[in-house]
Amino acid sequence: MNKKTIELAFYPGCIIQTEQYSYELSLRSVLPVLDVKLIDIEGFSCCGEPLKSVNRMITLVLSARNLAIAESKNLDIFTPCPICNLALTECKKILDNDEKMKDKINKFLAEEKLTYNGTNKIISILELLHDIISLDSIKRHVKKPLELKAAVHYGCHSIRPSEIGRFDDSEEPKKIEEILKVLGVETPWYPEKLDCCGGLLNMNLPETALTKTGEKLRSIEEQGFDLMIDICPWCHRQFDGKQKKAGETVAYNLNLPVVYLTQLFGLAFDIPWEKLGFNLNLSPVDTLLEGR
Amino acid sequence: MNKPRIGVFVCHCGTNIAATVDVDKVKEYAKTLENVVVSKDYKYMCSDAGANLIKESIKKYKLTGVVVACCSPRMHEHTFQRVSSDGGLNPYTVEIANIREQCSWVHDDIKESTDKAIKLVEAAVAKARLLQPLIVSSIKVIPNALVIGGGIAGIQTALEIAENGHKVYLVEKTPTLGGRMAQLDKTFPTLDCASCILTPKMMEAANHPNIELLTYSEIEDIEGSIGNFTVRIRKKARYVDADRCKGCGDCAENCRLKDRIIDEFNLSLNKRSAIYLPFPQAIPLTYTIDPNHCLMITTGRCGKSPLCVEACDADAIDFNQKDEIITINVGAIIIATGFNLLDPSMIPEYGYTRSPNIITTLEMERLINSAGPTRGEIQLLDTKEKPKSITYILCVGSRDETVCSWCCRIGCMTALKHLYLIREKLPDVEINLCYIDIRSYGKGYEEFYRTARNLNVNLFRGRPSEVKPTKNGIIISVFDTITNKLFEIDTDMVVLVPAVTPREDSLELARKLKVSLSSDGFYLEAHPKLKPMDTATGGIFLAGFCQGAKDIQDTVAQASGAASRALTILSKKELEAEAYIAEVDEELCSGCSICISVCPYQAIDIITEDDKKHAKVNEALCMGCGACTAACPSGAIQQRGFKDKEIISMIEVLSK
Repeated sequence: MNKKTIELAFYPGCIIQTEQYSYELSLRSVLPVLDVKLIDIEGFSCCGEPLKSVNRMITLVLSARNLAIAESKNLDIFTPCPICNLALTECKKILDNDEKMKDKINKFLAEEKLTYNGTNKIISILELLHDIISLDSIKRHVKKPLELKAAVHYGCHSIRPSEIGRFDDSEEPKKIEEILKVLGVETPWYPEKLDCCGGLLNMNLPETALTKTGEKLRSIEEQGFDLMIDICPWCHRQFDGKQKKAGETVAYNLNLPVVYLTQLFGLAFDIPWEKLGFNLNLSPVDTLLEGR
Repeated sequence: MNKPRIGVFVCHCGTNIAATVDVDKVKEYAKTLENVVVSKDYKYMCSDAGANLIKESIKKYKLTGVVVACCSPRMHEHTFQRVSSDGGLNPYTVEIANIREQCSWVHDDIKESTDKAIKLVEAAVAKARLLQPLIVSSIKVIPNALVIGGGIAGIQTALEIAENGHKVYLVEKTPTLGGRMAQLDKTFPTLDCASCILTPKMMEAANHPNIELLTYSEIEDIEGSIGNFTVRIRKKARYVDADRCKGCGDCAENCRLKDRIIDEFNLSLNKRSAIYLPFPQAIPLTYTIDPNHCLMITTGRCGKSPLCVEACDADAIDFNQKDEIITINVGAIIIATGFNLLDPSMIPEYGYTRSPNIITTLEMERLINSAGPTRGEIQLLDTKEKPKSITYILCVGSRDETVCSWCCRIGCMTALKHLYLIREKLPDVEINLCYIDIRSYGKGYEEFYRTARNLNVNLFRGRPSEVKPTKNGIIISVFDTITNKLFEIDTDMVVLVPAVTPREDSLELARKLKVSLSSDGFYLEAHPKLKPMDTATGGIFLAGFCQGAKDIQDTVAQASGAASRALTILSKKELEAEAYIAEVDEELCSGCSICISVCPYQAIDIITEDDKKHAKVNEALCMGCGACTAACPSGAIQQRGFKDKEIISMIEVLSK
C-alpha cells in the first residue's frame, strides 16, 4: 500500500526555534518516519497573537501574511504551537467571512506582493497525528511499546474557544490519550487535567503563574504518574523549564519528567534520544532514558 | 337559480377600525357592488344591537349571503355564523373581510387603509356570491375516554371523567400507577409525604367502577378523529396471573437473580430480582417478570426449575402468557405521559460519571425516602459514611443554550425542600447551594424559601464551571456575584439539579396521535395562554408535565381542566362534523390516489362505481386541512367553502 508523502509548510512561530528547540528537533526526527515532509519557507514572521489585545489590525495582517506566504507555495501550513494555530485560525475565520476585511488586509499584503485567498488549511499537531496520519499508521512504526503512566496536558489554546473549531472537544478532549494508547502508554484521568499552566500570566503576575504550574505538577506527582505530556511550547516552558522555580513557589520538591508528545513518539519508534532534544529538557528525564 | 342577494355589514369596532378606515366610505362603496342589496355600518357589530341589525336585515331584504367587514375571523367568524343562523341563513354563506388585523391595525395612512378595506370587502362579496349553503353531518360521539399515562396527571384526569359518569381507559406503560410522584419522599411547600397523598388517589382510580386500568400496556396505534377514535393497545405479558397473585413477594425473595438486576425505580441505586414489584404500594399489587433478564424467558431454562414457581403458593406464575392486543373505541384522548430528567453525564465538567458521590436530585430523593435503597439514611455512595458537607448545584443543563434553554420550574423548590429534609436528618452537616436565581414563585413558596434560608445553609449566587472529584474530596470553584469573591468549596457529596426533558418516546406517540411537539420537545398546546390543555388536533388534550414543566399542584389543576375539556365532547350524543371538508367531483377524478397519500386523517378511499374508480371522502373523518385539494393534479377534489373558483374570484378583484 503506497502512501503518498504529505508535504506541509513548517511554521515554527517564535520560541520553538530557540528556547523550545527540543520540540522542533523531535518533530524533524519523527515526522519523516510517518511520511510527512516539512518544507521550510523563508519570510515567515510572528503570528501576531501577542499583539492581539493591543492592536487587532496588526495581528490580522501578521497572521494573514503568514497564511498567504504558504498559500503562494500551494502548501497547507503546519503549526506545532497551539497559540500560533489559534491566531492563524481566528484570522482565517474572520477573513473568510468578511469580504470587506479581507480586501482591507489584502491591501496591506499587496505591498509584499502577497494575496490571501483562503485556499490553504491550517493543520495542528493533533490533527496531523490523529486524523491525517492516523492511529494505524503510527502503530505500525512502534518498535517498543512504552509502559508508562502519563498525565496528559492539553493546554488551553488547543481546545478553546470551542466556537471556532479547535483540535479537540473543550470539555472532554480525548485525542492525545488515543494516540498514546497506540504507543502503549496508560493515560488515566486526573482532576486537574484541564487546568491551565499559567504561562500567559508570566508578564504581569509571575508568582501566580508559577503557583498554577507548581500546584498542577505537585498534584500529578502525588497521584503517581511517571511523566507529563504536553503539546504546547508555552506550557512546556512552565512545566519543564520553570519546574524548579515552580517547586520553590509552592514549597514542594518537584521531580516530574515533562516531555513533548513527539519526544515520546521518538522513544517508541526507537529513535536515538539525542535526536529528540532530550538534552534540552530541564525537567528530570533521565528515568525515561535508562537503558537507551 | 335566483340571483344572490348579499348584505354587507361594516363594523367600526369602536375606534379600532374607524380611526384608520373611513367606515362610511366603505359602506357606501359596497352599495354600488352588483348583487349587494343592503349595506350598513355599526359601532360594534358583535354586540346584541349589531347582531339584531344583521338578523333583521336578513329577513327584511331576503338575503342569501352576508359579508361582515370586521376583525379577524378567528375572533368572530363563529359569532356571525351563529347570528346569521339565528336569522334564518345557512351559517356557511357568511364571509368575513378582515379590515382590522389585516388593515386598520397595521397601517397609518387613512386614504390607503380605506382603499385597502374597500378592496377587501369587494373581494369578500365576490366570494360570497359563489358560496353554497353547507349541510353539516353529525358524528356520533363515543362517550368513553382514553387517558395515556398513570401518574398523578393521568390519575386525576381519569377520576374527574369517571366521576362524571363516563368510562375511562387508563393506560400506563410501567407495571404500576404512580409515576414520578411515587418516587418522591415529600412534596413542597407543605412537606406532605408524597406516597401518603398519592396512594389514596391510586386506590380510588383502581377501584372506580368507571375506570378500566390497563397497566403494563402501550399504545400500538390510533385511528379516527374527534368523537370517534379507534385505539389498539398492547397489554404486555407479565407472566403472572393478575387474578391469582396476592402480592406476597415470596417469588422475588427466592428468585435466582435476587439482588442482581438494576432497579429502575430506585434509579440504579440498588438491585432487584427478575420478578418484581416496582415499589411496595404498587397498584395493581401484581408482580411482573422482567422479560429482558429472567433466565426462563431469555434462555428457556432456570436451573432445574424456576424458583419463583416453587415459592408461589397461589400458583400465579404462567410462562405461557403472551402479549395481548385489544381494540377500544373512545371519544376523547388525554395525553399525560410525564417527563424525564436530563442525564448529567452529557455535561462532563460536572463530573457525574467520575464520582459515585455526585448524584441527581431524584437519586437524593430516593436516599432520603425511608422506603428507599438506604432506608432513609443519607450516606456517601462509596463509603456508606455520613457526609460532612453536601453541595447542591442548580440549573445543571437548564437555562443553558447549549443544552436545554428552558427553566425546569421545579428545581429551586426541590433543592430547598431537600435542604430542609437534610437539615432534619443531619443537624451538623454543612449544606451549600449554588444558584443563578431562586425561583420560589408559587403560593407558600417564598415563605418556604425564607424558612430554608434560616437553616444555617450557605447560598452562593454563581454557576460553578467545574466539579472536580479529587482524592481528598470534591472541589468546586464558584464566583459569588453577591460578595464578589471567588470561593473554593471542599465538599463530600454533590447533588446536581438537572434539566427536565421530554420522554424519549414522545415523538413516536406524537406521530401516532398526529399531535405536534413544541421546539423544546414537549407536547404543543393549541394556545399557550387561552388553550393550554388543547392540542391542535380535535379531541386530544394534554395534562401535566408532558405539556411543559410544572409542579404537582399545577399538574392537578391542568388535569382537571383537561378532563373538563374532554367532557365537553363526551357529554354530547353527537358532534357537528367539520363543515369545510373536501368533496370529490367524480367526473374529473381519475383515481390516481395522490390525495390519499397526503391525507393525514386517512379520510379518503378509492371506490369503484359504474366501472369507474374514483376517490371518495369520508365526511366523518375529514378535518378540512386542504392538503388533498392542494395535491390533486386535476382539481377534482375541492374544499367546501374554499373552492378554486371562489378563491379565484377574490384574486380577480384584488388584482384589478
